[in-house]
Amino acid sequence: MIELSGVTKRYRSGEEWLTVLDDVHLTVEAGEFVSIMGPSGSGKSTLMHILGCLDVPTSGSYRLFGRSIEQLSAQELAWVRNQEIGFVFQNFHLLPRMTAQKNVELPMMYAGVPRRERHRRALELLAQVGLADWAHHLPNALSGGQKQRVAIARALANRPALLLADEPTGALDSATGQEIIDLFLSLNVDGMTVVLITHDADVARRARRIVRIQDGRLVSGAGEEGRS
Amino acid sequence: MNWAETLLSAWTAIRSNKLRSFLTMLGILIGVSAIITIVALGQGGQAAVIATIESPRLQNTIQILPKETLEPGLPQPDQVLSFSDQDFQLARQFPGVADVYYTLYGQATVASGGRVVNASLNAGPQYLNEIAHFTVVQGRMFTVSDVLAHRRVVLLSPSLAEKLFTGSSRIGQTVQIGGQPLQVIGLAEPAQLNLLGNFLGTDYVYMPATTCRDLFPWWSISEMDVQVKPGVDKVDLGNRIVTALNIRVHDSNAFEESTRFYAGLEQTIGQVTRIFTLVIGSIAGIALVVGGVGVMNIMLVSVTERTQEIGIRVSLGATKRAILLQFLTESVLITLIGGVLGVLLGVMGSFVMRAVVGLPTAVSGWAIAVSLVFSTLIGLICGIYPANKAARLNPIDALRYE
Ligand SMILES: Nc1ncnc2c1ncn2[C@@H]1O[C@H](COP(=O)(O)OP(=O)(O)OP(=O)(O)O)[C@@H](O)[C@H]1O
Ligand SMILES: [Mg+2]
Repeated sequence: MIELSGVTKRYRSGEEWLTVLDDVHLTVEAGEFVSIMGPSGSGKSTLMHILGCLDVPTSGSYRLFGRSIEQLSAQELAWVRNQEIGFVFQNFHLLPRMTAQKNVELPMMYAGVPRRERHRRALELLAQVGLADWAHHLPNALSGGQKQRVAIARALANRPALLLADEPTGALDSATGQEIIDLFLSLNVDGMTVVLITHDADVARRARRIVRIQDGRLVSGAGEEGRS
Repeated sequence: MNWAETLLSAWTAIRSNKLRSFLTMLGILIGVSAIITIVALGQGGQAAVIATIESPRLQNTIQILPKETLEPGLPQPDQVLSFSDQDFQLARQFPGVADVYYTLYGQATVASGGRVVNASLNAGPQYLNEIAHFTVVQGRMFTVSDVLAHRRVVLLSPSLAEKLFTGSSRIGQTVQIGGQPLQVIGLAEPAQLNLLGNFLGTDYVYMPATTCRDLFPWWSISEMDVQVKPGVDKVDLGNRIVTALNIRVHDSNAFEESTRFYAGLEQTIGQVTRIFTLVIGSIAGIALVVGGVGVMNIMLVSVTERTQEIGIRVSLGATKRAILLQFLTESVLITLIGGVLGVLLGVMGSFVMRAVVGLPTAVSGWAIAVSLVFSTLIGLICGIYPANKAARLNPIDALRYE
C-alpha cells in the first residue's frame, strides 16, 4: 500500500541545508498496524506528512495504493486526502471557530455527504471517542486530550483505508490512551491500515511492527525484517 | 459543499469578526450611498427645473408665443408683439379648440388702510388655480362670469392678507391695486411646487385676466394658450393656428408654437445636470474604488491570518476550487452587504435632503443597479487574488504558518 523509496527531505536554514529525512525506504502493506518510534526531532512528523500527501519529498518516490503521488493532479490529491487518508496531527489542528461536531463534519462536507447523515455520523464518532456530551463545544473549551480525541474522530469521518496518527495518545492519560489504541486495533481488524507515531513503548508494543527512526534514517523495521 | 452551505459558512465567518467585517464594508457603504444621493440630487434638480419651466402650462395646451421671445437672449419689450382680441377670436374659431386663454404675470402694489405691500400678480381664466398652482382655502374662486364681466375681484395669499389687514375678517374687504378698488373674494395658498418656488416669495394676488387688463392696459399679452379637446392632434392644430395668425398679422414669422423652444431648453438643462452628476459622481466613484482597495487589503490580511485554517481544510480534502469559492463568497458577501447598506443609506439620505433641507431629489433605479453590480465586482476582483493565493499553498506550509 505504501512504498517509499529513496525519500529525502531537506530544508534550507540560511546558507546550510538541513537533511531531515535521508534516503528513506519504507513499505507498508494493506491491513498492517505499524508504529514509528524515534527521538524528538528525528523526522517522524516530516515522514508522516509525506505519507499523508501533505508535503512532498525533496527527492525519491512515493507510491500509494500503487499510484505514484507525484503524478496526481491537485484534484486527485484532494480526493486522496479526503477519502483514503485519515490524518491525526501532533498538535490536533482543529478549526477554532467551529464546534467539535462541525470539525468532525468538515471532511464529510468536502466529500458531499448530506447534512443529516453528516450530523448523525459526527455524533456517532464523537460518542466512540467518549465525547458525546462535548459535541457543541468550541475547541478552546476542550482539554488537550479532548481535542486530540476530536481530531481522531475527524480523521475517521470518511472511513479512510489508511489512518496516519502523529502521537495520538500523547495528550491522553494511559487509560484513555489504551481505549484509543483499542479503537484503532478494532478498526485495523476491520481492514484499516494504521501507521502511528508514539513515544510510549507500551503503545508501540501493541503494534505488530515497529519502525525506528534516528536522525532521518530508518534504523529498523523498514521492510520485511521488521515484521513480527 | 453546495451553495447554501458555502453561503452559510461565509456568513458565519463574517459574523465571527463583526467589527472588522463592518469596517471593511464601510468604504463600499460610503461610496455607494454617496453615489445614490448625488445622482438623486442631480436628477431631482433637473426634474425640478424642468417642472418650473413647464408648470404654467396645462396638459393638452398649445402655447403660442411671439417669435422674439423664443430667440436666445432677452427680448426687447417694445419689439415683442402683443396678441390682440382679434387673434384670440380667430383661434377660438378652430374646430377642436376647447378654450383659448392668456395669463398675465407681474408685480403690483396692493394697498389697504394705509398699508402698502408689493406682491406678485397672477391673472388668467377661471381655472387659473390649475395653471398657477394654488388652492382656495377660504371664500371662493372667481368664475366665468367674473371674467366676462371684468369684475373687480381678487384672491390674496394668506401671508399677504396677514400684512394688509388687522382684523380677522378678510373676505369682503377692499384693496387698492393700480389705483382701483377691488373686492377680496377669497384666500388662496400658492402650492410649493419645488425648490425654485421657495425663492419667489409668498405674497400673491390672483384676479381675472380681463380685470387685470383694465388695471394695467399697458401690460402686453405675450402668450396665447390654446386648450384642445380630447383626442385632437395637438401638433397639427397648433401649426394650423400659428399659420393662420401669421398670415393675419401680415408677417409670416411673427408667432411660433413653443414646443421647440422648451425641448431645446430642457436638453440644455439635461446636459448641465448630466455634467454635474458625472463630475460629482466620479468623485464618489473614486471613494468606491478606495473602498474596494480597503476590501482587498482586509481580504489579504484575513487570508494571511487564516493560512492555518486553509492548511487544515486542504489537509482534510478541500479542493482548490472549494477554498477559492469560500473566500470569494466571503468577500462578495461583504461588499454586497456593504453595497445594499449603502443603497439604503443613500435612499435615506435623499429623503432627508428633501424632507429637511428641502432639496429636490429623485432616487434613480439605475444608480442603485449600477452600484450593486459594481460592489459585487469589487468583491470578486478583490477576493480572487487572496483566495487564489491561499488555495495554491502547500498544505504543510500553510499549517506551519505562524
Ligand atoms: N519547515 C521546516 N523548515 C526547517 N526545518 C524543519 C521544517 N520542518 C521540520 N524541520 C526540522 O526537521 C526536523 C525534524 O522535525 P520533525 O517535526 O519531523 O521531528 P519529530 O521527529 O516529529 O519530532 P517530535 O518527536 O518532537 O515531534 C527538526 O529538526 C525540525 O527543526
Ligand atoms: Mg513530531
